Amino acid sequence: MSKTTSDPITTEVVRNFVMSCAQDMNAALWRSAYSPVIYEGRDSAVAILDAEGTMLGQSTGVPLFVGAIDACVHLVIEKYGDDIGPGDIFLMNDSYLQGTHLNDFTAVGPLFHDGKLVGFGAARAHWSDVGAMDPGLPMGSSSIFQEGWRLGPTRVVQNYEELPDWMDLIQRNTRMPSAILGDFRAQVSAIRTGERRLGQLLDRIGQDTYRASCLNIFEQSRALDRAAIGELKDGTWSREGYLDNDGQSDDPIKVALTLTIDGENMIIDLEGSSPPVAGSVNCGAVQTQSLLRLAYKTMISPDRAITGGSFSTMSVKIPDDCMFNAREPYACAWYFTGLGLLADLMIACLSEAMPEHATAAHYGDSMVATFFEVDPRKKQWLSVEATAGGWGGSNGADGESALINLVNGGFRNMPAEVYETKFPVRIEEFSIRPDSGGAGRWRGGNGVVRSYRMLDDAGGALWFERSKTPAWGLAGGKPAKGPVNTLRLPDGSEENPLKMRARVLPKGTLLITRTGGGGGYGDPMARPFDEIQRDLDRGWLSPEVAAEDYGVVIRDGRVDTEASTPRTSL
Amino acid sequence: MASTGYRVSADIGGTFTDVVFQNSENGDMRALKVLSTPQNPALAVLEGVKKGLGAGEHIDFFVHGTTVGLNSVLTRRGAKVALLTTENFRDVYTIQGNDRGEIFSIRWQKPEPLVTVEDTFTVRERIAADGTIETPIVLEELDRLVEAVKIRGYEAIAICFLFGFRNPAHELAAEAYLRERLPEIDIALSHQVSPEWREFDRISTTAMDAFTAPVVRRYLATLVDEMRDTLPEGGRVYVMESNGGAMTATAASNTPLQTLLSGPVGGTIGGRSLAEQTGRKNLICVDMGGTSFDASLIIDGLPSISNETSLEGLPVQMSVVDIHVIGAGGGSIAWEEADALRVGPQSAGSVPGPACYGRGGTEPTVSDANLVLGRLDSSNFSGGEMTLDTEAARGVVAKLGDKFGLKPEAFAQGIIDIINAKMADAIRTITVQRGIDPRDFALLAYGGAGPSQAAALARQLDIEEVIVPIHPGAFSAVGMLQTDMRHDFKMTYYGDWDHVDVDEVTAAFEALEAQGLAHLKQEGMKDNDISFERSVDLRYEGQEYVLTVPAGTGVVDPAAVRALFNAAYQKQYGHSSTTAGAEVANLRVAALGRLKRPGLPSPVDRAAREARSRKVYFDGAEHDTAVVRREAYALGDTVDGPAIIEEETATTLVPPGWRAEVITGGHLSMKPSNAE
Repeated sequence: MSKTTSDPITTEVVRNFVMSCAQDMNAALWRSAYSPVIYEGRDSAVAILDAEGTMLGQSTGVPLFVGAIDACVHLVIEKYGDDIGPGDIFLMNDSYLQGTHLNDFTAVGPLFHDGKLVGFGAARAHWSDVGAMDPGLPMGSSSIFQEGWRLGPTRVVQNYEELPDWMDLIQRNTRMPSAILGDFRAQVSAIRTGERRLGQLLDRIGQDTYRASCLNIFEQSRALDRAAIGELKDGTWSREGYLDNDGQSDDPIKVALTLTIDGENMIIDLEGSSPPVAGSVNCGAVQTQSLLRLAYKTMISPDRAITGGSFSTMSVKIPDDCMFNAREPYACAWYFTGLGLLADLMIACLSEAMPEHATAAHYGDSMVATFFEVDPRKKQWLSVEATAGGWGGSNGADGESALINLVNGGFRNMPAEVYETKFPVRIEEFSIRPDSGGAGRWRGGNGVVRSYRMLDDAGGALWFERSKTPAWGLAGGKPAKGPVNTLRLPDGSEENPLKMRARVLPKGTLLITRTGGGGGYGDPMARPFDEIQRDLDRGWLSPEVAAEDYGVVIRDGRVDTEASTPRTSL
Repeated sequence: MASTGYRVSADIGGTFTDVVFQNSENGDMRALKVLSTPQNPALAVLEGVKKGLGAGEHIDFFVHGTTVGLNSVLTRRGAKVALLTTENFRDVYTIQGNDRGEIFSIRWQKPEPLVTVEDTFTVRERIAADGTIETPIVLEELDRLVEAVKIRGYEAIAICFLFGFRNPAHELAAEAYLRERLPEIDIALSHQVSPEWREFDRISTTAMDAFTAPVVRRYLATLVDEMRDTLPEGGRVYVMESNGGAMTATAASNTPLQTLLSGPVGGTIGGRSLAEQTGRKNLICVDMGGTSFDASLIIDGLPSISNETSLEGLPVQMSVVDIHVIGAGGGSIAWEEADALRVGPQSAGSVPGPACYGRGGTEPTVSDANLVLGRLDSSNFSGGEMTLDTEAARGVVAKLGDKFGLKPEAFAQGIIDIINAKMADAIRTITVQRGIDPRDFALLAYGGAGPSQAAALARQLDIEEVIVPIHPGAFSAVGMLQTDMRHDFKMTYYGDWDHVDVDEVTAAFEALEAQGLAHLKQEGMKDNDISFERSVDLRYEGQEYVLTVPAGTGVVDPAAVRALFNAAYQKQYGHSSTTAGAEVANLRVAALGRLKRPGLPSPVDRAAREARSRKVYFDGAEHDTAVVRREAYALGDTVDGPAIIEEETATTLVPPGWRAEVITGGHLSMKPSNAE
């Protein structure tokens, strides 16, 4: 074996290279994908890895994909071993292997240079339709067999040639064959981009120096993580909360997490979390681990690139019989529903270990409102929107209001002017929801109010969560309000649906969605009067709630500082 | 004897103001730098003009780029603005896009809007998507705002109603009602500032206009006043616009937002002119100074323009020269983290600056590394304005290099290699990631630090040719002298492009052109110098983002435009469709007024050559390197590397194996010698 070393300069150049290579790969994917969910929604992730499948660099549009893609490469190596040749592409989507829903297909390809395997490229993308019981993502599935077709690691391209039988199968199992084939080819082109760029670098610095640089990079990441965890307070902390339900019954679902910091090691245990459930909120172990990595990253290393050396100090235990360790035949379409809560629980535990970074919980889930045309004779349209909400207060800052949830990232709301031009719906209000954030020295952010008026008969469906465990406060801060929706039908009747399967909403129906806020941080009695006054002035805090939560007396819209409960210090 | 006329430009930067003088007859140019005067930027301009113009010389034409509007946003020192919007939509400017700017942060905070919720007022009114009035405006509700203006002292009101771009009746009614009661106050209407959909973006644009307008107007009035004695009878002061064009100060006072990003566009416009002159149609323009690296593109002879931008995270609906900025420059700091070496993005700025400035900088920077490698002349930096401290540079480079077990020269080379890799990535972002192959381009390098890094940067990207223009350190000001008048007009026009009403859309374009014609005539342009460029924002049905494609002249030919769209889409995304429907979102017209200007002469007379050399490090070894003055080389002359070419505003590095040649216009072309 060669004992080539790499100097710090070459190592830094290689580190820059793997990050920019991953960006180029993702740009190639976005540039050539056919489906807007990929090139506009950026529901994709790519990675460049070494020949053992260890992560070197990645680029992701969705934060949730941050730590799962290397598992797919390991599966390919495990199954195919030496039988991996130049130009091969392996494809998989099995929820129980790669963790997410069947719509996420991961392509893995070896990267060869001078006839030698020098690494892997991987590209995951959300396929718009994979032949489930309903178009797109089914809402009422209770078995994986209702959610589309399933593929383990499978060679579908050999020596740069697509295998026609597989291409045929891919296209026969979707309602949108040509777009799906286009998206698959975009994933392949991302991997080819990685191979081309890596080849250029290796021509310049050689395979041995590259390998030595990679080992340095892993070691640097490991050292940074070890140092970061080593600084945390030792101890064991547990937190639990409840999902509203699984979309089938109305039974709450328990989610529990225990975190231990022991020197440079972090151990996470999900013992106590619910067994698998009938509805589609189960999640494969690989994606559960990815979410925990994301939560870890937000607290420990938000600015640092992830490599194979990252997370080496973190170990995860998931019970066999657990919704976060989904097995056949449990349904996984809405697998991310429980992950927002799990992330909040982990951040709550980490807040004990690193009090200066402590942050209260956020509103927690994607809060999806879907509308579509129901009359087959009319022009078909479909709108699927995730809705923003409030984030947790932290030691030193109020939580931000009206921001998209953790597992999403760059998702933007559609302007009312665009929405109303495209769809027969009028947005009647889009505003900050007063009083929805939890009170605290640093208050939680507020959720939003977004109202939809049907200007014609339309289909509608909802997937809102976290009403039973809304965002909690920290260090004496108060919990937030959870989501509350109002559906006002033209006949005058009113309902309050959170999860609602697709149904017809007659012309004139008004749906008011209200998302939850973030939890407060610290004793509300420590919040200065002028900050309370500012929230009153903005209309984001009502006088009633100000009196109740902050102990202030208000006269003519002004806080009466003499008559109010004196302020404490944190 | 008659006085000699000059066309003069000024690029007002944070530290220096560059002033360039071009002889109106023969095109000869000279450049100088004076210290900027941030309190009143006009003072530095006047000083530069005084310094550069001799007896018997006068100004024919004066153009400048200003950062006054930009700075008022960066420092949040603008007008006190009240925002008026539709009932139930008061919080739109605060909610913004609701996306998270840093996807891995749980404490990310949105950019602070220019107008807070306390200063936002609403009124009962609603216009529907088709422009019909759903709820008539209740004007009496505005009395609350009238009252608030008196109490809180607002200086300007920004009005933006939902679908105001579709039907401006309510915005106009509100304006009339408010003007009658508040005659002194500035009012900005969204359908005039930016007749384009997306309410948050339009509110943001309108608020920024209201916020910056008084500051920009005041500045322009002062400048025009102070320039009065320097300009010829009836002479006009011209201002660069964010879109790369120019307009008169009077026009700029009416649309002050257009000057927002006028500072850095000069270089790109200089690139366009250079492309025309030298026949290099594709250029990657890079401007490397002390703290930032700006990259922009000239494709097929034209600058790449974007129809939206953002400032401090706040969107602006405005045509701008598309410039990608990263934190990399001479001042970028090298630092250590977990035994790994990093360079930038932090910069030593100009105070304390790199260690070699001798102003107390203690961390090694890119400039220090260049000095250690012998690539800068310690005694002749910035045209002799400044002496560099080689020992200080060597000290800080050696100290950090020691930690990594590297000799100062090897470590200095490493710092350069890393910063070059980052700059190469910035270029990849605007080329490779948009489906453009940088190997089809020449690299146009300017700014104080650009010409010394350019060859190494080109090598990283497999680019065959580097161009170092004349006066590289003041090239932005040089470029301003190559500009034409330009005004952009737009309207949101939504529908199915394949079945668009040809008469209606042609009439819409003609109406936009009529607006442009009126503007240019008012600025003194003659008919035969005026032209128009139409374009249209198209996308496939169901998509969100658009591509802007040219829309020809005369009666609109939807099929021809559609074909251009398919081709542009194919180029950018690798596939296209002739069967999918195409939607139109906006119509745009650029009204252009051609300004007369002389060409750039190529140097034919040589200054005397003196034989100097010094030791310079290239690729780990010391080389005897010739040091020459640029003025000593005329058209067709060549310089073989290793060589250093010095001039007033910058230092060009010709590495071993490269050759530089003086080409048309006096620019330098550098290529690897074996490329010929």
